[in-house]
Amino acid sequence: MLSRSQVFTFILAFSRRLSGLLCVLFGVSLITFTMTYFAPGDKASAIAHARYPDAQGFPPEILEGIREEFSLNEPFFVQFFQWLSRFTQGDFGKSFASNTPVWDIFVANAAETFSLTATALVIGLVFAFGLSSIAVWRPGSLFDRISVALASIGAAMPNYWLGLLLILLFAAHLNWLPAYGTGSPSHLVLPALTLAFWITASQTRLLRAFFLEAKAAPYIETLRLRGVSEAEIFRRHILRHAAVPALTMIGLDIASLLEGTVVVELTFARGGIGSLLAGSVLSRDYPMILFLVLFSAVVYVFINSMIEILQEIMDPRISIWSPQEAVLPGEDR
Amino acid sequence: MTVQADAGFLEEADAQKSNPEIDLKRFLVRLGFSVVILLVVLAVGFLLSPYAPNEPNFLDRLSPPTTNHWLGTDQLGRDVATRLLYGGVWSIGLAFLITSVGAIVGTAVGLAAGHFGRAADVTLMRVTDSFFAFPELIAAVTIAGLLGPSTTNMVLALILVGWMKFARLVRSLSVDLAHRDFVVQARLNGLPSRRILWRHILPNIGPSLVVLWTNAWSRSILSISGLSFLGFGVQPPNAEWGAMLLDGKAYMQTAPHLMIFPGLAILLTVLSINLTGDRLRDLIGSNELSAD
Repeated sequence: MLSRSQVFTFILAFSRRLSGLLCVLFGVSLITFTMTYFAPGDKASAIAHARYPDAQGFPPEILEGIREEFSLNEPFFVQFFQWLSRFTQGDFGKSFASNTPVWDIFVANAAETFSLTATALVIGLVFAFGLSSIAVWRPGSLFDRISVALASIGAAMPNYWLGLLLILLFAAHLNWLPAYGTGSPSHLVLPALTLAFWITASQTRLLRAFFLEAKAAPYIETLRLRGVSEAEIFRRHILRHAAVPALTMIGLDIASLLEGTVVVELTFARGGIGSLLAGSVLSRDYPMILFLVLFSAVVYVFINSMIEILQEIMDPRISIWSPQEAVLPGEDR
Repeated sequence: MTVQADAGFLEEADAQKSNPEIDLKRFLVRLGFSVVILLVVLAVGFLLSPYAPNEPNFLDRLSPPTTNHWLGTDQLGRDVATRLLYGGVWSIGLAFLITSVGAIVGTAVGLAAGHFGRAADVTLMRVTDSFFAFPELIAAVTIAGLLGPSTTNMVLALILVGWMKFARLVRSLSVDLAHRDFVVQARLNGLPSRRILWRHILPNIGPSLVVLWTNAWSRSILSISGLSFLGFGVQPPNAEWGAMLLDGKAYMQTAPHLMIFPGLAILLTVLSINLTGDRLRDLIGSNELSAD
């Protein structure tokens, strides 16, 4: 049972974390808004161009009307808080380019990106797990060295170049798969492989290190002397020991996957959130940019917080609520 | 490369037979020399080349590698080898600049957070966390795109998204160091805090900072080429490896050498900087062990 003071500590630590999170979210929205606010170029004429695509020039009255309508004449902080209050209420605005709600466009594109990242993540992790667990079986063996070399090359490989090489080989020369575009599952193969290669590389390297570290723990030798089989040791002890750090890195990789999709979607001319962002930036579609950048940052923050919580659940030695009072194994709570 | 790959396995033996601190210094000197040599080779190669990087020659377009053009020519008849050498100075040099500025800004923020009391610490680290929340490339594409695609704006964007790693590392190391015996001793002896900072804190942060800096340098090369490849960075006709890849993409089938060589240049450069960073980290790791 928790004592009253422990409950108090818990609530205090929880609210401290929550306030920290809110601070970061506020900071993130402020930075995002500042980025678009101080971008060079007249926003009113950008909106006018989007509204009347055929018009050549605009009389000052129309531009003034638009400034009035979008409160562009208000001071920075008024505009920021107006935008923030609308945003927090779920009103993300309409895209300048197509005059449809930002949310609808986002949802239409999210499926593409999600199927790409999910496929890549599964392929990448399966390969990484396979490679690293075989590699640590005999550290220093030929297979181990090959997997280390592969991981080093993968970390240095520009993914846009890998994408081009895959297109050159499988689409241009062998004609097995389509090079560009979206649609059938076969369109997914090359982009997913491009992203997966990078995940395999980074995860193989990390998992190998975690496995080796777990393997070097003294109690593993004890288990071996007691006659526990190698497979059993790997499955029950090494895997579990390596799970916490591995989970952290996988979480961070998911966040970096968001970056990878921008490059891969543009390289393969696919639809999706990444190419949507690039297009919106070039056409100065501010509501779309604000939403997408803020979305990616919030996902990043959210994933990081989830990882911290999961870490605590999986490893009782870490206590995120009160780091000073971490409970060590053998101590009573 | 094999030597580097072996390093990890030999690490234990290494640590026993040699003094890690001397190893580290020797390695850093070697690293400095190799960078200088590399830059000299790039520059000399560029000067010796009979071609200019942006000089078109419409009689000799899309030529495969020949004895005149070792790596072939591009769609405007420009010599690919010359452009690669010239582009290397951009890719490597700009990345060097971006990372160094980021490291200086980040170190300043990190030290300020670690030394000017709790209020400064909380404020600065919240700011750092907020900047950290943006995926690097997404923020860079947005900033560079909104400012207008150009080399200067790309550099600005990459500095803005790159300094936080340094701030976090420096802050955590300096807070840690502030409680170590020798720093406490120095403070008790009445040393002014600026002197403690310069003589005791910074030199001890140095090695880890160099490792992070090396890492950030190679990532920066990838980001520069990536942004240029996406059209948000170095603009044509300037040669930069990513921009050259973008040019070569259209001629993939007829002239694959246009996209193979720039990509290879990026891969090899980033790979060698990464391996250098790994070796550096191993050396510093054994150094820290021996210090305790």
